[in-house]
Amino acid sequence: MKKILLASSTALLLVASSAQAQERKLVISVYGFAQDAFKTILYDPFEAKCGCKVVVETGNSVERLAKLEANKENPVIDMAVVATPDALAATRANLIEPIDVSKLSNYEKLYDIAKDPIGGHMSVGYTFYATSIVYRSDKVTINSWNDLFSKELAGHVAFPNVTTNQGPPTLYMIGKAMGKNTPDLKAPIEKVAEHKDDFVTFYVRSSQLTQLMQQEEIWAAPIGRFAWEGFAKMDLPIKWATPKEGQTGGMNVMILVKGAKNKDLAYQFMDFWLSTEIQTKLAERLIDSPANKEVKLPAAVAENLTYGEDLVKSLDLQPAEAILDNRESWLSQWNAKVGQ
Amino acid sequence: MFQNRAESLALTLPAALFAAVVFIVPVLILLSEGLRTGGSWSLAHYASFFSTPLNLTVFIRTLKLGVLVTVAAAVIGYAAALCIVNLSSRNRGRMVGLIVLPLMISPVARTYAWIVILGRTGIVNQALTSVGLTDAPLRILFSETAIFIGLLQLFMPLMIISLVSALENMPRDAISAARVLGANWLQVFWKVILPLTKEGLVIGGTLVFTGSLTAYITPAILGGSKVLMLETLLYQRVTIANDFASASVIAMILIVMSFSANLLLKRLATARAKR
Repeated sequence: MKKILLASSTALLLVASSAQAQERKLVISVYGFAQDAFKTILYDPFEAKCGCKVVVETGNSVERLAKLEANKENPVIDMAVVATPDALAATRANLIEPIDVSKLSNYEKLYDIAKDPIGGHMSVGYTFYATSIVYRSDKVTINSWNDLFSKELAGHVAFPNVTTNQGPPTLYMIGKAMGKNTPDLKAPIEKVAEHKDDFVTFYVRSSQLTQLMQQEEIWAAPIGRFAWEGFAKMDLPIKWATPKEGQTGGMNVMILVKGAKNKDLAYQFMDFWLSTEIQTKLAERLIDSPANKEVKLPAAVAENLTYGEDLVKSLDLQPAEAILDNRESWLSQWNAKVGQ
Repeated sequence: MFQNRAESLALTLPAALFAAVVFIVPVLILLSEGLRTGGSWSLAHYASFFSTPLNLTVFIRTLKLGVLVTVAAAVIGYAAALCIVNLSSRNRGRMVGLIVLPLMISPVARTYAWIVILGRTGIVNQALTSVGLTDAPLRILFSETAIFIGLLQLFMPLMIISLVSALENMPRDAISAARVLGANWLQVFWKVILPLTKEGLVIGGTLVFTGSLTAYITPAILGGSKVLMLETLLYQRVTIANDFASASVIAMILIVMSFSANLLLKRLATARAKR
């Protein structure tokens, strides 16, 4: 009796596992942000459309790039979304291949700056975000990036750690405001080092800021627009600064892994993500600002995003090569002067 | 229990092999990364680690906080343990239960609670400003003080429990005998209680010191990236710079510090007994 039971359950398991193997899997590597919303808006509808399974891997950029590097000979991941400088790093490390944009029906609908951010069609932009300063309008006014160092804000301001995605753009704008805008960011880093005791903390996660603002631990901080929703919900008077030097920001891009096993699925997925319908839904949920210029949003929603041709064109984005080539030196300068 | 020594050794072999393969070998591989530079053995990574001022600051800060937390835990721990052992056995059970209760809550939750308590609008600042000790709220968060408070609260239950069990095993008349012979309370503590409960102190001290050295969550949340400790520095080196060599150096330093602390405390304990 026992033997029959054991044999039949083994047979059942084998059948079940082989049945699972029939269904195709698309493996994607993404940011961990808002995954619940992505599941309902993007992954589940795509799974229904393609009859395949979407396997999601998350983590920070360094971990995900390290994984791509480790699996170079036998890629596990089909496509990924990363920040523009990371896409350039992946290109240099020979981890990705050019995207055949003729296979993307929604390609022409993208803003021009999203079409080929690093050249060679190695990546396609799918979202932007502006970076500026959130501040308590009842405590202080911010008209310039230099106001981060003002006396009123001393002891009440947070700054992004140079290791975050917001760190270098913020330093870049401070350099611009100081009139000393060199790629090595020497002047802004020194200014931060001078004032380091005035900063409450050098945050590493955007989510920390909402809590600190809520607890009135800080009155201002540079942050990307993607975090605005959390601030807008608070019942404190908070505003998004439009400094006279302008806003900076970043663009996140899609990349296709070299030797990906499910290229056709990856293309379908990218095209789906770039479609007007999906980009509109993601925008309405205040998750990602659209790179598709055909997306139309009501004013109330648009206000919380980085939306509109003029705004997108006005963003002063740090060039990806500058970021990639200088990262190490920024880190060592920061550790030497600011790190404690 | 077993007739044959060889038999008993053979029975422990699977577990020993498992522990060796799954634990000891990977740890040795990890630590060896810090000793290799480009294929050959060298101490270059250690030299470069200690010659960077930031690393030295972090190392000294970690050591300092570890010692301070252990000493504070010992002082408060003895006071608490002495009160607890004098309670009736039912109340003693309740008190020990209360002390152990925080250990059942995740350290993340406990540490986040401190952010609310120590923040500018938190209870501490509210009390200080309402009493008039300060005009404006103090900035306590993201400082060594905040980490000290967080680590102390995290590890004190361990110290109290070890001391309670050590005090319970101490002959109670020893204290009365000393008092009868004319010792004052300081002498009673130093010459009677401390030597008789030294094992509890060694265990508690090792747990608290090692815990404080290797704590990650509390320094990460309460110190931020402004006040780095060895563990948060390790995390930064691995996740940002992909620098496993310096991570291995830090891991080795932490292991050496923990072992040394244990040996030192044991030495202090036995030294007292020789007198």
